[in-house]
Amino acid sequence: MATESPAPPPPPAQPIDAGSQALADALHSSFGIVKFVMLLLFLAFLFSGFFTVGPREQAILLRFGKPQGEGDKVLLGPGIHFGLPYPIDEVVKIPITEVQEVRSRTHWFFQTPVQEAQGEIPFAGPTLNPEQDGYALTGDGNILHTKAILRYRIEDPVRCVFNFSSGADQAYGLTGLSNAVLNVLDNALVYAAAHRSVDQALFERTAFQDAVQRRVNQLVLTEKLGIAVEQCVVETRQPRQLDTAFANVTTAGQQSRQALTEALTYRDKKINEAIGEAAARRNAAQAERNDMIAKIEGDAKTFQEVLPRYRANPELFRQQRLTETLGRAIAGVDYKMYLPTSPDGKPLELRLLLNRGPVKSKTETPHP
Amino acid sequence: MKNNPLTIIVSLVLALIFVMVLFVFQVRQSEVAVVTRFGKPVKTYTEPGFRFKLPPGIESVYKLDQRIQNFEDTFSEGYTADGNNLLSSVYVGWRIADAQAFFPKFKNGSVKEAERNLRDIVISAKAAVVGKHPLSDFVNANDQDLKFDAVEQEIKTIVQEKAAANNSGIQIEYLGIKRLGLPESVTESVFALMTADRKKLADKYNEEGAAEARKIRSAADREAAQLISTAEGEARRIRGEGDAAAAKVYPVFEQAPDLAKFLGDLEALEASLKERSTLIFDSRTAPFNLLTESLTNQVSR
Repeated sequence: MATESPAPPPPPAQPIDAGSQALADALHSSFGIVKFVMLLLFLAFLFSGFFTVGPREQAILLRFGKPQGEGDKVLLGPGIHFGLPYPIDEVVKIPITEVQEVRSRTHWFFQTPVQEAQGEIPFAGPTLNPEQDGYALTGDGNILHTKAILRYRIEDPVRCVFNFSSGADQAYGLTGLSNAVLNVLDNALVYAAAHRSVDQALFERTAFQDAVQRRVNQLVLTEKLGIAVEQCVVETRQPRQLDTAFANVTTAGQQSRQALTEALTYRDKKINEAIGEAAARRNAAQAERNDMIAKIEGDAKTFQEVLPRYRANPELFRQQRLTETLGRAIAGVDYKMYLPTSPDGKPLELRLLLNRGPVKSKTETPHP
Repeated sequence: MKNNPLTIIVSLVLALIFVMVLFVFQVRQSEVAVVTRFGKPVKTYTEPGFRFKLPPGIESVYKLDQRIQNFEDTFSEGYTADGNNLLSSVYVGWRIADAQAFFPKFKNGSVKEAERNLRDIVISAKAAVVGKHPLSDFVNANDQDLKFDAVEQEIKTIVQEKAAANNSGIQIEYLGIKRLGLPESVTESVFALMTADRKKLADKYNEEGAAEARKIRSAADREAAQLISTAEGEARRIRGEGDAAAAKVYPVFEQAPDLAKFLGDLEALEASLKERSTLIFDSRTAPFNLLTESLTNQVSR
C-alpha cells in the first residue's frame, strides 16, 4: 500500500508591498469604470434609435438609404418612433406644415439690409449697373424695379427633399427646393413685367401680383416642384432716377383733379342758384297773377256795388269819394301846406327849397 | 489561454465590420453610385439600398448626387435680330441621367466641372436664340406677340441637344429666363425717354383737367341760363293767365267807364301819397275850399 505522501505545504504567500497593492486596486477599479462606461455607451447606441417627430413636421426613415414604406406610409407623423442606429437607418425630418418663404430681390436696386429695414433709398446715379442693381424690362421697353415674397407649403415631401440638390454635400434638406422656388419666382417677375407696360405694372399692382402668382403656379406644375403656393406679395417701383418725374405726374394729376373738383363745385353752385332764381321767378309770377286776379275781381265787385249810387248822382258821388280818399291820404302825408288865395283871387306864389332824398345805390345789398 | 465568449463576439463583430467596409457599400435615395474596376466604370446603381463590391484596389465606388442641380448662368450680352443689345441670364435645372457617361466626362463626376461645361453651352445657346428674335419677342405689352415661352423652349432644346451630343450624361429638367436687362450705357437713354413720357403725361393731365373744368363751367353756365330762361317763360305764361282772367272781368267796367276811370284815379292818388310826400293845397280844392268860405278866416286876414 502506497502511502500517500503528504501534500506539500502551500507555498508561502508572497508578500506584496503596499505600492503594488495600491496599483492593483487602482487598475481593478479603473477597469470597472471602463466596463460601466462601455455599458452606458452600448445602451446609448441602442437607444439612439429613438427619435421624436414634432407637431409641425413629418419624417422619412431611410434604411440603407432607401425610404421605408410605400405611398403615404412613407411619412411618419408626430410622436416617438424607433429606427436602427446609424449607419443602418437615417431619419430625415421635413417641416411639412410650416409655411416656407423665399424672397426675390433679383430685380431690385442695390440696398443694404439696414437701408431696406429703415426704408432708406440709396443715392441713384444716372445709370443702373447690371452687376449691382437689378431691374426688369417692361413690355413697352421701360425699366422697372420689382421684388416679391413667396410663401408656400411642402405638398410632396419625398419629392421636395430627395429631388433637389442642397449643394456640394449629400445632405438632405430644403435648400435645393428653395433655390428652385426662388428661380421660379424670379422668372415669374421677369415674365409678368415683360407682358405689361410700366404704367400697368406700377399702377395695377393687384393685376401684376396675380400675373406673377399665376406664372409661379404654372411653373410649379411644369417643373414638378411639389409645393403649394400660399401667398405671393409683389412690390413694384419706378427707378429712383425717375422719382421726380413720377412725382410731377402725380402732382399734375392732383392739380387736374382739383381743377375738376372746383369746376364741379362751381357747377353745383351755379345750378342751385339758377334753380332758386327760376323758382323765385315762377313764384313771383304766380303771386302777381293771383294778386291781379284778386284785385280785378275785388275792383269789379266794388264797382258793381257803387254803380247804383254813382248813377243816382254822379257829381255827389265823385265829391264824396274824393273827399274820403283825400282824408285817408292826408293822414299819411308828411308835410301839408295850405295855400290861401290872395285877395285878388290869384293864388299866392310859394317857393320851396326841398332837399333831395339820399340816392340809393343800385348795387347796394340790403342788410338782412 | 481561456476563450472568453465576449471576446469572441467582439472579435466577430469587428471582423464583420471590416468585411463590410471592404465588400459592401450603401446607395442612398438621392445618390447614384458608379463602380469602377481598375479605374474603369463598370456598373452604376441608381436605386437606393445595400450593394456589394470587390475590395479596394480592384473596385472603387464613386457616389454622385442624382438630384436636380440648380444652376444659374452669367448675365451675358447678345444682339437681338433687330440689333438691340440684350442682357440675359437663365436658370437651369439639370441632373445626372447617365452616371456611367457623366463620370468619365467630368473629373471623378465633378458637378462643378459639369456646370462649367454647361455654362459654355448655355451662353452659346442663348446667343443663338437671342440673335434669331427681335426684342419685341422678349418684352411686349401685347400678349399675342410675346414669345417668351417659345424663346425659353428654344434655348432649352439647344442646351439639351448639345449636352446629348457631348455624351455628358446630363439631362435638362427645366430652363427659364431669370433676368433680362440692357447694357448700363443704354439705361441712361431709357431713363431720358421715360422722363419725357412722364412729362408728356403730366402735361396731358394738366391740359385735360383744365379743359374738362372749362367744359363743366361753361355747361353749368348754359344750364343755369337755360333754367332761368325756362322759368322766365313760364312766369310770362303765368302772368298771361292773370291778364286773361282780368280780361274776362273788364266788361263789368264798361257799364260806366267814367266811374271806372274815376275809381282808378282815386286809387292812384292814394297810392302816390303813401310815402314821403308833401301836399300843397289850393284853397279852391275841396275840402279846403271850406276854409276860404269861412268868415273867421276872412276876418283874421
